[in-house]
Amino acid sequence: MLWLEREVVASLVSPELDDEGRSVVERYVDESLQSMPDHLRAGVAAESLVFGAWPRLQDALGRYDRRSMDARVERWKTSRFDPVRQYVRLIQSLVVFAEHELAPGMTR
Amino acid sequence: MRSSGASIDTEVLVIGSGAGGAATASTLAAGGRDVTVVEEGPWIDPDAVEPFSLEEMATKYRHRGLAAALGNPAIAFAEGRCVGGSTEINSGLYHRLPETLAESWGKEYAIDEFNARTLDTYAQRIEAELTVSRLPGAPPPSSALLERGATKLGWQAVEYERVFRYDAAGRGVKQTMTRTLLPRAMKAGAKVIPNCRVRRLVRRDGRVIAVRGRRTVNGATEDLTIRADHVFVCAGAIQTPALLQRSGIRAGIGSGLKVHPMIKIAARFPHPLDHGGVPMQVITEFGPNLSIGGSASRRGQIAMALADATSDYRHALEDWEHVSVYYAAIRSEGRGRVVAVPGLRAPVVTYRLTEGDMSRLARGLVHLGEVLLASGATELYPSVADGPIVRGPEGLAAWWDAVTRNRTNLMTVHLTSSVRMGEDRSRTGADSFGRVWGIENLRVGDASLVPDAPGVNPQGTIMAIAARNSDQFLSAT
Repeated sequence: MLWLEREVVASLVSPELDDEGRSVVERYVDESLQSMPDHLRAGVAAESLVFGAWPRLQDALGRYDRRSMDARVERWKTSRFDPVRQYVRLIQSLVVFAEHELAPGMTR
Repeated sequence: MRSSGASIDTEVLVIGSGAGGAATASTLAAGGRDVTVVEEGPWIDPDAVEPFSLEEMATKYRHRGLAAALGNPAIAFAEGRCVGGSTEINSGLYHRLPETLAESWGKEYAIDEFNARTLDTYAQRIEAELTVSRLPGAPPPSSALLERGATKLGWQAVEYERVFRYDAAGRGVKQTMTRTLLPRAMKAGAKVIPNCRVRRLVRRDGRVIAVRGRRTVNGATEDLTIRADHVFVCAGAIQTPALLQRSGIRAGIGSGLKVHPMIKIAARFPHPLDHGGVPMQVITEFGPNLSIGGSASRRGQIAMALADATSDYRHALEDWEHVSVYYAAIRSEGRGRVVAVPGLRAPVVTYRLTEGDMSRLARGLVHLGEVLLASGATELYPSVADGPIVRGPEGLAAWWDAVTRNRTNLMTVHLTSSVRMGEDRSRTGADSFGRVWGIENLRVGDASLVPDAPGVNPQGTIMAIAARNSDQFLSAT
């Protein structure tokens, strides 16, 4: 997974999941993204690089924080720009499916 | 580890082991031909993984179910990638091709000997071989409520037959290809080679002279060359055109893809529902252009469906045992394309929905909402981003405007028509019996041949056409 994908997963995963559960979900998302057709994975990776450029820069400058990323992901979910919305939707689908199929009991 | 290669000689090679491939292999082996079936995916015992589970997606689905046709909106789709193909992962609902479509397709695409009576003859044979039946007892609550809602509205609803065999206690077992036609083909002498991906067909002088593939045995891969007198490509509506294009065969191949786009609702009820299977009641009031039914509704699928509608879904999910997922599927006017791009392992799939399709999807969503409310649902979560959650009939009108290209989330499991059959060469990729134009010993035998979207589960149509074309092959060669 690329940096932004990992950060979006961290924003979307239920805060009630324990560390093991979060790790299970993250691994599932990673494996699923790797399983996608090459051209779709390349598109998602390109989006990750483009959409992640600004937060990554903030991170490099020491101005990045989790709450601002959480708020950004919430805005992206209902973005009028379809690729942004679909990007979050894809990762969210994988996160919620894994949370409820793989890690339903792994709560804090 | 990879070895330099092996070779196999066979009279008939069938590429793909799903509904079309298994029906072809079984018919030809029973007819005394020397048949070899190759399948890209593994042979997995049908009882080894739970239906619709994440493990099933990981082991039996191509790309773990994460494929999509590009377009506005994109349409997610799923294909099987295992011995038995999509028959191993589908709901097992079965329907013959509607009579009116058989007659109109026969004329529109100039398909010889293609009419409802002929297809019904083959459908009867397939139904007897597979065991197609209705549920012996009362339907489960998730299914019964659809019928109840339809009755209240005065709409027609039917219980679809399923490719299931029931024991005396009423327990049903889905009759997948690994349980039925493939063992029958093997008993008649056919060989099945799993884990073997066909890369291309080698042609000379208008014939396929060899098939190049790569198979995996005990973790080691080896190149495989198969020489066959006749080749049937039965890899499904996406992989079949992709293989033909990779082999340099392009005329009429891949350009007419059709799907049944589905829009969904997660519906919450005051009482708990069953979650192990898929409802078999289907509302046919608006068919064949619009059908309404139920989807797989395990906890993970309910979570995904709820999350499609709103960020604020966790309270509904706490009550997930009271929630189930339903769909409205349309026959689309739009068309798609499958393109094998050099260097890419998977083909690029695109699909363009028309404005009429978008309007039909909105109508389907509203009708689905109507019937779910009539059946007692208290909250409806549509697969539309920020689509308003509806709690009563007065809220449904808002969905007409909500179903837009950039808010609607669609998926499909029915893909057809990418190598249409018929005598009109300008619109087809194969003749009336599936023979690819210009290649003497190459035939297609799967969903690709179906000339248009059937508006019903296509497995019955695919198998009837494959059996018909195989019989023609036996009599002609």
